[in-house]
Amino acid sequence: MPLSVITALCLLTAQMPAGSPGTLTARDSAFHALNRLAYGARPGEADSVARAGVMRWIEQQLDPDRISDAHLAAREREFKILDYDRGDLAERYRDAQRERQRMQREMADSYPLSDRRGGQGVRPEARPMQEFRELGGELQQLALVRAAVSERQLREVMVDFWTNHFNVFVGKGADRFLLPSYIEETIRPRALGRFEDLLIATARSPAMLFYLDNAQSVAPGSAPPRPMMSPFRRRRFGMNELPEDRPRRQPTGINENYARELMELHTLGVDGGYTQQDVINVARIFTGWSIERPDRGAGFVFHDWAHDQGDKIVLGQKFKRDGEDEGIRLLKFLANQHATMHHVSAKLCARFVADEPPDGCVDAAVAAWQQTHGDIRAVLRAIFTSPDFWAPQAVRAKVKTPFEFVVSAVRAAGIEPDDTPRLAQVVARLGEPLYQQPAPTGYAETEAHWVNSGALLARMNAAMMFAKQSSSIPDFDDHAQLVDAIDQKLLAGTMSAHTKSVILEQLTDINDPAQARTMAVGLALGGPDFQKQ
Amino acid sequence: MTISRRVFVKAGGLTLVSLGLDPLFLGRAAYALRRPLASSSRPILVCLFQRGAVDGLNMIVPHGEGAYYQERPRIAIPAQDVVDLDGHFGLHPSLAPLKELWDNKSLAAIHAIGSPDSTRSHFDAQDYMETGTPGVKSTADGWANRYCQHDQEHANTPFRAVAFGPQLPRILAGTAPSLAIDDLQAFGLKAPQEATRDRLTRAFEELYDGAGTGLLASSSREGFEAVQMLKRADPTQYKPASNADYPPGRLGKTLQQIAQLIKADVGLEIAFADCSGWDTHVNQGSSEGQLSTRLRELGLALAAFAKDLGDRMGNIVVLTMSEFGRTIRENGNSGTDHGHATAMLALGGPVNGGRVLGRWPGLGVEQRFEGRDVAVTTDFRDLFGEILARHLGATDLSAVFPGFAPSPARFLGAIRA
Repeated sequence: MPLSVITALCLLTAQMPAGSPGTLTARDSAFHALNRLAYGARPGEADSVARAGVMRWIEQQLDPDRISDAHLAAREREFKILDYDRGDLAERYRDAQRERQRMQREMADSYPLSDRRGGQGVRPEARPMQEFRELGGELQQLALVRAAVSERQLREVMVDFWTNHFNVFVGKGADRFLLPSYIEETIRPRALGRFEDLLIATARSPAMLFYLDNAQSVAPGSAPPRPMMSPFRRRRFGMNELPEDRPRRQPTGINENYARELMELHTLGVDGGYTQQDVINVARIFTGWSIERPDRGAGFVFHDWAHDQGDKIVLGQKFKRDGEDEGIRLLKFLANQHATMHHVSAKLCARFVADEPPDGCVDAAVAAWQQTHGDIRAVLRAIFTSPDFWAPQAVRAKVKTPFEFVVSAVRAAGIEPDDTPRLAQVVARLGEPLYQQPAPTGYAETEAHWVNSGALLARMNAAMMFAKQSSSIPDFDDHAQLVDAIDQKLLAGTMSAHTKSVILEQLTDINDPAQARTMAVGLALGGPDFQKQ
Repeated sequence: MTISRRVFVKAGGLTLVSLGLDPLFLGRAAYALRRPLASSSRPILVCLFQRGAVDGLNMIVPHGEGAYYQERPRIAIPAQDVVDLDGHFGLHPSLAPLKELWDNKSLAAIHAIGSPDSTRSHFDAQDYMETGTPGVKSTADGWANRYCQHDQEHANTPFRAVAFGPQLPRILAGTAPSLAIDDLQAFGLKAPQEATRDRLTRAFEELYDGAGTGLLASSSREGFEAVQMLKRADPTQYKPASNADYPPGRLGKTLQQIAQLIKADVGLEIAFADCSGWDTHVNQGSSEGQLSTRLRELGLALAAFAKDLGDRMGNIVVLTMSEFGRTIRENGNSGTDHGHATAMLALGGPVNGGRVLGRWPGLGVEQRFEGRDVAVTTDFRDLFGEILARHLGATDLSAVFPGFAPSPARFLGAIRA
């Protein structure tokens, strides 16, 4: 037995958690971990992680602040959007809206006007509108750059997970300018913290308060003490659909929207045992949780005048009249319900282990949650050390989402994503436009939602495009060597015999090495092996 | 039960094959008056979403109503310009190309239709109209996709449900196969030369052939089948029939591509397209102006589509929809703001045309919704449900519109019995 194999086996047995089947080689284990905790392996990365020990790499990923990430920090400086706070973005949005209205008036005055989408007589877009649109493109591309180049891969995966779990649709009114701070200030700092803190932060975030309408929820019959100061009056752009929804009305009652999604999606789950009366009482608890001055960036505000002053009962638990603190107590209560632990753990296992998460890893995650009062890192560690995570049937069992496919292809092909929205547009074409899921459910994790004939053809086209830009594979005169290099660098040696033979067959009459390389890399990235993780 | 139900359905509801039928089943079967036949005579539904909330009152004008003129001194369509339909309602003059279809009874208008939910947010209202669950935000899939999931009587060809645009809209989102096609001529693998394209197509086809039996394998097979079908149909060589003249612009191009797909007989059952630009808050115009321009394009495109498809319109229903209507009273900017009920158009051979359907609530102050908007007298799900059941032959509307019980008793009679 060669020394390297013995070393690998020793490392494997030393590093693997108790109870994990020893059927995976150290390299396969590393590739599996990179496919799930990271956005796939860069060329050679499966080997380096295997050498260092996969469990040691996982521990490092669970402690991202100790990983240096200088390259990403440099890349982030290219993104103007990170220099702007909510107020700045609100101002830019307002300028863009004014400009749009002015142009609409002009266009209507200068009849006949032509269809703007129809192509005839396209007017140059005014500067503020163009600038705001560019910022929107930056927001998406920034997510791609971070996922592709960050060394703190697990944190990026978890930012994506929580952004999707606590989904906010960027196209709804004020969320066009509230979403960036939601990601930077609400989600990112807490992605590996405690679930309870994350839940409270999302509940208080202007983006969520606006998206799920809680900002408009007031106790029936309540009215602001000084009507002129009400945030619902004299809005330059208003509460629901801005700025068109002109006839403003004072909100007149509770809005159950956030209360329902909080329990159905964010915490307990649809079968979490709550009733419609619980939904109403949760909504009553959150009356008065609102936002102030949308035109200045809409900070959180609690309006005591709008708050329902009665006692409330939720899931049999009494919440005595206590103003804003009622909501905080309720969120802590919900965060630690068994149904919540189970619902969120099962979602994490669907992301990291299998579309249909096995009971074993879900139970392990719930146990860790209970022991640590919802420490997300402890919950993740329990999943990554569970035998289900390392079971052979879990390996390559999941299909990549469009975002995962694009980012992993970029990483494998050695493409440095630029700061244009180009790659984000590819992700959108594959069916997952970032931050543009209107429903609070977020995007689905299961393959049935991503695999269909049109989307697969789009993946193949994207793969051919990536192949042209690929820098990770050199030219070879010998086709067998070329295919072997692709197998090693793009798929860590997991390319199927079928894929190899089909690619080789396609290369037979191609003599130009560069052309052969592009064809082979494109087929490998667009083929079935690379769709899986 | 499943077997006897299928037998019953296939027999067109003429024979009761079992005495043990449950009442629910009888209710479902009663919807299905029409069954799909051979592929070229398969019923087809084309949906056009007028995003931005079209002003139903200036599209289908209640010119017989005094309040209409009182509330809209600057933007009402003068009675002499209206293309009269029935003495009370008339078409906006820009929709004049559709009058012929009205006269031959293949165009109907549905007025005072909308959502039971009172939201005036474009985003929420569009979402509700596409998911088919007003007031419920967490619905993950669209009603057209749920129809495809539950009605498996049709073979699932790759082109069964197609949205024209860069992305799949909510209405077609879900687990049943559906395609988003931005441009029919560019569908498939992209390569500058045809030879390269064919080669890539063959290579990927072989790669996925070896992917076993999973969803990846079956979906790729469907995809390549679609590419082959389209190649045979050769969309680059398309010439509209009867000199049908589609207007320039995206809508005309999209409707022409839908016509191509229908004539290619590739199994299309539901086509969907967007047309935007209806959010007329400022200087909406009257017989001429902003809205008029949009309506002219719509009228010309629909008329060209009907002319191009000729006899095939006997199996086609085109339905326009919009998330809500606009205020009865014009605003200070000679436009209209977000309202409640709006109007829709249904066009095609199966349509019970030449009529304005739905109960008209009137424009009097006390007849309005919240004192300002046209009241909704028809839940949009009753119209969509009728078309699904009586035109496409849906058998289980409760699965398509969960939480709602579409009832034949409430159907407007938009589809000929």
